[in-house]
Amino acid sequence: MKTNKLAIIFVLSILLAGCWDNTDLTDINIVTALGIDKDEDGKIIVTVQVVEPAAVPLTSSSNGGGAGQTKPVSVKSYKGETIYDALISMKSIVDKRLFLSTVQVLVLGERFCKDGINDALDYLHRNNQAEYLADVLVARGTSPEQILNIQADMDVISALYIKGTVENTAVRAKVERKMLIELFKEIKNKCRQITIGQITKLDGKTVKTEGTAVFRDGKLVGWLDQYQTRGYLFVADKVGNPVISFSAPESKISIEIIQSTGKKSVIFKNGEPARLSVQIRLEGNIGEYIGKEMLSKPEDIHKIEKMLSEEVKKEINMALNKAQKDYSSDIFGFGEYVHKYYPKYWKKAMDEWNDVFSRLPADIRVEAKIRHTGLIKSPMKKDE
Amino acid sequence: MGDEAVFSRIKKQLGLGKQPNNSITTETDGPLSPNIDKVKERLNITFSECSDYVQREIVCGEDNDIKILVSYIEGLVDKKLLNQDVIRPILNYFSDTDRSGRAKSVYQLIKECIISNNEIHEIVNMSQAVYRIVSGDAVLFLNGSKIALTVGVKAPPGRQVDEPDTEVSIRGSREGFVENLSTNMVLIRKRIKNPNLKFEMIQLGTQTNTDICICYIKGIANDEIVNEVRRRVIKISSDAILDTGYIEQYITDNKLTLFPLVGNSEKCDKLVSKLLEGRVAILCDGTPYVLTVPYLFIESLQTADDYYDNAFFASFMRLLRLFALFISTMLPALYVALVSFHHAVIPFKLIITLAASRQGVPFSPFVEAILMIMAFELLREAGVRMPRTIGQALSIVGAIVLGEASVAAGIASNLMVIIVAITAICSFITPPLSRTIMYIRFILLIIANFFGFLGISLTVVVTLLHLCRLRSFGVPYMTPFSPLTASDLKDSFIMVPIWAMLTRPKALFEGETEDKAGIKRQEANRISEN
Repeated sequence: MKTNKLAIIFVLSILLAGCWDNTDLTDINIVTALGIDKDEDGKIIVTVQVVEPAAVPLTSSSNGGGAGQTKPVSVKSYKGETIYDALISMKSIVDKRLFLSTVQVLVLGERFCKDGINDALDYLHRNNQAEYLADVLVARGTSPEQILNIQADMDVISALYIKGTVENTAVRAKVERKMLIELFKEIKNKCRQITIGQITKLDGKTVKTEGTAVFRDGKLVGWLDQYQTRGYLFVADKVGNPVISFSAPESKISIEIIQSTGKKSVIFKNGEPARLSVQIRLEGNIGEYIGKEMLSKPEDIHKIEKMLSEEVKKEINMALNKAQKDYSSDIFGFGEYVHKYYPKYWKKAMDEWNDVFSRLPADIRVEAKIRHTGLIKSPMKKDE
Repeated sequence: MGDEAVFSRIKKQLGLGKQPNNSITTETDGPLSPNIDKVKERLNITFSECSDYVQREIVCGEDNDIKILVSYIEGLVDKKLLNQDVIRPILNYFSDTDRSGRAKSVYQLIKECIISNNEIHEIVNMSQAVYRIVSGDAVLFLNGSKIALTVGVKAPPGRQVDEPDTEVSIRGSREGFVENLSTNMVLIRKRIKNPNLKFEMIQLGTQTNTDICICYIKGIANDEIVNEVRRRVIKISSDAILDTGYIEQYITDNKLTLFPLVGNSEKCDKLVSKLLEGRVAILCDGTPYVLTVPYLFIESLQTADDYYDNAFFASFMRLLRLFALFISTMLPALYVALVSFHHAVIPFKLIITLAASRQGVPFSPFVEAILMIMAFELLREAGVRMPRTIGQALSIVGAIVLGEASVAAGIASNLMVIIVAITAICSFITPPLSRTIMYIRFILLIIANFFGFLGISLTVVVTLLHLCRLRSFGVPYMTPFSPLTASDLKDSFIMVPIWAMLTRPKALFEGETEDKAGIKRQEANRISEN
């Protein structure tokens, strides 16, 4: 009897919990990029980029004659009340089920972002299919539909081309790489405002991923350019290996940052926040030096270190100014510091923190070190 | 108490070997008659219509008073040896009339002075005589004597010692067992020059009277296991034992499992090393395959070469075999589960490749997998049964034409062909398990198609549970992993060098034989009842 019961439990646990969704790979549309925008009437426009596997030249079975006839990717848009509605209604113009787990890039439209993304992305969070590792970008001056419609010549799947550019620029700190899962975390995080990388369309073949979209309370309020983005990322401690170039009298220098740690804090006086404090430590290598001065003595190097820290300071200042004066949005996460060390004050001031943040003056300290000068020390010159 | 009973039964059975009490001899049973004509008459009745039966009567002595009947089966005895050792000495001796009047009786003369063969036995029973004749000895009946003599002049036809086809090794001995039992015993004995190497003979099969030999090293093999082997082998009642495969099916612990619980080998060096580890071997006349028990799961991953080679290489090969085992059972099922259910876990670039290769294939991945695997199994079976010369053509047709054409025709995807090919290659790497794997592969494939990864993982768990429950002659099948026997891990997935293997496998000495476990269980029941 006992074994019978066990057997029943066992069989039921398989039958009831088994995977029910048996779909062949040939019965799904592999979506590589997803675009979400709003039209003037407040309707959601969803754009999908679907790949046609047999037409992708990287697979061996496609090198027959068929490659020229079908396009490797096709882009379709559809309007709906919600994202889900639009995706489901889109079935009337696509042939197979849309499979979202392969989404590489999620492009949000400017108007969609201005209306607030906090609630609007619910579907992607609720659905078990959405790919959490997709790169999120905001399209500036163009619509997601146009971005996804580019005929990239670098890669047949333009989503992969966009993803590649994001990877490149994120390492050099010109754009912040934000995956969908990180965005979800930030939406829930009250101590820090959302930032998303920016994408612009250059021509029918090319896009550029540089700069940052700044949000306040989930709504798009403005943009940072590539230098401000770098300053922001220094403070947020998310820089990779950016190259910082500046010119001194009679010379031009490019320095590759190999390591950087950024610390931020808020200095309190009498129970009220008084100043913002930013401390950056960075190490760099001289990547290029065009000038006449010799770099053989430690003093010469120190001079460059000083110039480098001034330059970084300048960028951070620009970013802080923009965030405080123009957008009044704590994208750096000073609020996290306050939440952690002054919880009582935080509870009280949580709602107007962005305004408090905007008023506070900032101390910025940058310590820069040069580690290597490359294969040569001094610039090339003729022996005398 | 159990042991003594077992021993007495064994003795009885061993005795039976010399006086077979079975159907062939029922009408000839009884003591030998001193009258040679009567003997002749009875033998002629017993061997009527046996055209290979030969008997010769020698009449000699002063007054032709000495009559001897020599009986044997043609072909089983070496005629030259028989003439040289028996017939000629007798004729020579008695043709010289002076010597015939000695103190000794004719019977003793013949036994002690005349026959030059060393292997002489006395028999007093008619049925014994018949048994010796059919086993290949020559039997001498003397007029006036109640005792007959058997002379060992066996020379049954057989194969030369050869390299076994089924177990090929790169290093190590190339000698394999043959069909002749005594040759096999010699092959073992010549590697273990030690009187502790024991060969216990038993006759099995009421019609065939096949010689079975239980072989072990006293002092190394666990006595309980040896007793258990004896007990199970004696219990076999069958008309015929034609191969050790018959015995294997009778003595296995669990008759309803897919996993092999009895090992077999054709290689002498492998068998000897198993004996030295404390295992018991069962040889059978007429087959080159020798059984070894207990047989553990890990043995299917071991090869003789491992021990002759550097332990680093051997360990790597062991891990490779384990990997192959995993691949050959799971790969088609994993592929079907991935392609049917779990698209989300496939990396992006791979999913495009997969989807492209599936494009235009009319079948579901499951049907496709079943078709391709069935095609492969058919090819394999055909390859085994076909004459060697045609095999080549078959492999060309099978591998190139079927594989290539099915892809070109759009019936199967490239990737499925690759997967089936890899699976097939891997299934040949662990030969003892290859048929077991085939079964599990099909089961997993079906489950994967309906229940995805969940079903696969549950099936794997159930299989592991089953493996852990299995026992081979009382020794848990999964030792040294379950139960964990730390000292035996030295010769498992990772192998330590031979000079560091200081102890014999502990598992073979700690295991319970079926008897003991049964008694324990009975005791436990009794206690719980009270």
